[in-house]
Amino acid sequence: MVQETEKPSVPPAWSIKRWLFTTNHKDVGILYLLTSVFFFVAAGWLALLVRTQLGAPDNAFLNSSAYNQAVTVHGLLMVLWFLSPFAIGFANYIVPLQIGARDLAFPRLNALSYWLYFFSGILMLMSFFTGSAPDGGWTLYSPLSSQRYTPFLGLNVAAAGIIMMIASITVGTVNFIVTIVRMRAPGLKYKHLPMFTWAMLITIGMMLYAFPSLLAGTLILFADRALGTLYFSAPEGGAILWDHLFWFFGHPEVYIVLFPAIGVVGDILPTFTRRPLYGKKYIVLSLVAAAIISFVVWGHHMFITGINPTVMKLFNITTVAVSLPFDVITIAMIETLVRAKIRLKAPVLFAIGSIALFVIGGITGVFLASVALDFQLRGTYWVVSHFHYVMVGGSAMALIGGLYYWFPKITGRMYNEKLAKTHFLLSFIGFNVLYFPMYLLLDMPRRIVTYTASTGWGQMNLLATAGAWIFGLSQLLMFYNLFVSMKKGMPAGPNPWQASTLEWATSSPPPFHNFDTIPVISEGVVHLTNGAGHSAALGAKAETEHVHETHTSTWPIIISAAAFFTLLGLLMGFPVLQLAVAFGVIAVYGYGRERFTVRHEENAESWPYQGVENVKLGVWIFLASEVIFFSALLGAYIFVRVNSATWPAAGQILSIQHGAVNTFILLTSSFTAVLALVSAKAGSRKYTMLSLLTTLVLGLAFMLNKASEWKELIEHGFTFNSGLPASSYFITTGAHGVHVAAGLATIVYLIIRAAEGRYTKGDSGTIEHFGLYWHFVDIVWVFLFPLFYLL
Amino acid sequence: MPDLGNNILVSNTYETFTGLFGTFSTLAIIVGAVVLGLMTYLILRYRDKGTSTQEPEDAPTLGKLPAERGKVKTIAVSLTLSTTILVFLVFGTFGALDNILTPPKDAIDIKVTAFQWGWKFAYPNGYEETKELRVPVGKAVRLIVVSEDVFHNFGIYDYKIKIDAIKGRTNHIWFEAKQPGEFTIQCYELCGIGHAFMKAKLVAMEPGAFNAWYSTSGA
Repeated sequence: MVQETEKPSVPPAWSIKRWLFTTNHKDVGILYLLTSVFFFVAAGWLALLVRTQLGAPDNAFLNSSAYNQAVTVHGLLMVLWFLSPFAIGFANYIVPLQIGARDLAFPRLNALSYWLYFFSGILMLMSFFTGSAPDGGWTLYSPLSSQRYTPFLGLNVAAAGIIMMIASITVGTVNFIVTIVRMRAPGLKYKHLPMFTWAMLITIGMMLYAFPSLLAGTLILFADRALGTLYFSAPEGGAILWDHLFWFFGHPEVYIVLFPAIGVVGDILPTFTRRPLYGKKYIVLSLVAAAIISFVVWGHHMFITGINPTVMKLFNITTVAVSLPFDVITIAMIETLVRAKIRLKAPVLFAIGSIALFVIGGITGVFLASVALDFQLRGTYWVVSHFHYVMVGGSAMALIGGLYYWFPKITGRMYNEKLAKTHFLLSFIGFNVLYFPMYLLLDMPRRIVTYTASTGWGQMNLLATAGAWIFGLSQLLMFYNLFVSMKKGMPAGPNPWQASTLEWATSSPPPFHNFDTIPVISEGVVHLTNGAGHSAALGAKAETEHVHETHTSTWPIIISAAAFFTLLGLLMGFPVLQLAVAFGVIAVYGYGRERFTVRHEENAESWPYQGVENVKLGVWIFLASEVIFFSALLGAYIFVRVNSATWPAAGQILSIQHGAVNTFILLTSSFTAVLALVSAKAGSRKYTMLSLLTTLVLGLAFMLNKASEWKELIEHGFTFNSGLPASSYFITTGAHGVHVAAGLATIVYLIIRAAEGRYTKGDSGTIEHFGLYWHFVDIVWVFLFPLFYLL
Repeated sequence: MPDLGNNILVSNTYETFTGLFGTFSTLAIIVGAVVLGLMTYLILRYRDKGTSTQEPEDAPTLGKLPAERGKVKTIAVSLTLSTTILVFLVFGTFGALDNILTPPKDAIDIKVTAFQWGWKFAYPNGYEETKELRVPVGKAVRLIVVSEDVFHNFGIYDYKIKIDAIKGRTNHIWFEAKQPGEFTIQCYELCGIGHAFMKAKLVAMEPGAFNAWYSTSGA
């Protein structure tokens, strides 16, 4: 057995520095869990305010404005800042352990992802102090969300928060996919992955494709509000365009918050029922199927917007179809209980409870899939109840079960079982008293601040409010229990539940490096040590590398803070903006230069990723999300163009000459980027630098040409707010221009590094990664040019 | 069962909705009861009663990958069952939908304009008003719904009918009142601080009374 000889060079756990600069996945996981629980409490408090207001007819506890803000921010926080990050917290802590890795593939990116999330949440909360927080519902429907109808800075601040949140998610998705694909312990095949890791892999995949659509939508919203473009305030775009962009993200998002919970249940069930999960293969296949179908059901959120009847029917069918995989999952989980020996501890109570609630939420969802019933149920408390049964019942309850389940692993101590069971009982009863009456309120509109007594809705609302307080207060039991047990609980030992997955094969809490020796799996048996005899060949690999690893970095938090102030500066102007941008540039440069060594454990090299190193795989994954982003932007452009009665002909406003010159410049620069890589591989510093410099010059020429074109257009009255042709042109080419600018900044960095002698000694990877990005940006232009200039 | 009002047939749309909703509810309650009942039974039957320390043969063990279990047959049976139910429901839905989307040819057209925060009703004879929408019993009424500002939703909950009101779009909905009476029209899409109070009254009148009122209005 290999003992860890060198102690990792990190500050101790009691030091603040440790928590600000850590890149260790378990530390970051704990940070995610704590931060998301904070947002859970904040959003829960808002929900209690809302329920208190609705407890009696004609109540005046909150006024309309306060009520609308509470409802809106409650939804945004719960969905974006609690449910997903809470699951990501577990994923951070548990996934590397479950796959026998020592950390995530990119520990620093992971820290960056967390700090972006942290600061995005601060932005979101700051919106309360800028006149008014967003108050148009978490769906931010346009044109209510346009500057004209919501003239508060608060919505801009919140939109900036959402944009930053999406940046955090994009960084995180890249990291998790590379980790799960590449860093599994030797012999740990996909089919062996525990349910939670499987569910996270699929969740992350959905995030990768869903969030760019929200990003495009939010960026346009931000541009509309801050720069005066017209996408969402013009009837040709407006409500329907926002609906498409939002719900293309929004429906997968429901499963993004649900799947990790299914993963948690899938891990808890076998442990406490003492039987392997029934039909795990089919559960995984069902998750994949549901993930794919979830991208073609968004129309059911738009059933009565007046869309074409055939389209309605198609979306009705896809929506009904998406319930089938969930049927398989539920049946398989229930089947697991047959001939089991169920130890009814808190984690499994929450897990089974969440299945029961999900069944109710799922069945009532079938009602909403029916387009005919939607003509009544839309916008009522039936909807509210349905999605709370799914998102609170199906998701949050299961994740709380996960918290009890993994608490001993994370803290090394047991919680108080009796208190935990009481918590389950109270929250389960409270939940149903809270949400079941809402099904009976199928006439009551959502999001109304009050109602008259004559409606007869008072009784059910009072009941729901009582349930809300029971459910809310019962959470205090959990906080008390976990807080006390963290210090005073019984020592848990490595595997208190007799579970079989790898996170239980190491001490509680696990050592800094998780496993002293990387586990090796062969023929269904996990070899935890490289003791005599078995798997010497496979196990040897882990021992050979003795890299002095880095575990802290100051840059992620600084970059995130700079991003935070940059966004704030966009709203507040000089000097905040200029200072923040300067700081950001320094921080990103520092991040790039920092010597950050990680151990490379590319154990799971298999087709199609063989020979593709982690960073390159990461770049590909990132570009996949960029494809969706630009598709959404172009989709929005095509949407408004098709809906507009008139549109300027090609050559009438935009100069084809300008566009053609820029096309030529950009394509040439792709060629020189290739030359740079070839020269670097050939070991020629001179030609590497020369090629990079040429690429830079060409890129600058593109930007200058673009700038003069913009200037001319604006001088001729073709401005941000002069109509949809201008709005769509400036937003789309602007987003592309930002990408070019980011590429140029990267080239400058590459040139500095090349001058120092980098890239030419077999380390040309970075130039290759840049090249991939640069080619992608060029390809985007190849689409933009004909779409905007020639057609 | 959810409260479906006073069970008096107030409009054709109420009839369409309650019929379909009843079918859905019956099946939902049966399926829900079976699934939740089965779960409860299994938990009670197979809970660890602490009477023996014997574990199931395939109990999870650290260091061993769990055995694969699960029969395609079970999955297939359950899938077939739910597919059958769902196909049945989809056909029911499409039948009702055609009814909801196709107004009779002789329907009276009334234009409804949503605004922050109220409704404007414009009749074929040019009469306009914002407080009440008056319609005759026994005659189809087609509403042409538009918005002049933000996204609203026109709903009459006693009639179980709604339609979005969106700027730049013209949406249609129709109904036929079956009983005279007064009903609430309300907005079902958050549209700003006046959302909860964006209401109007629907007055369904006997045809004679309606004609008398209509011929003296707006002229």
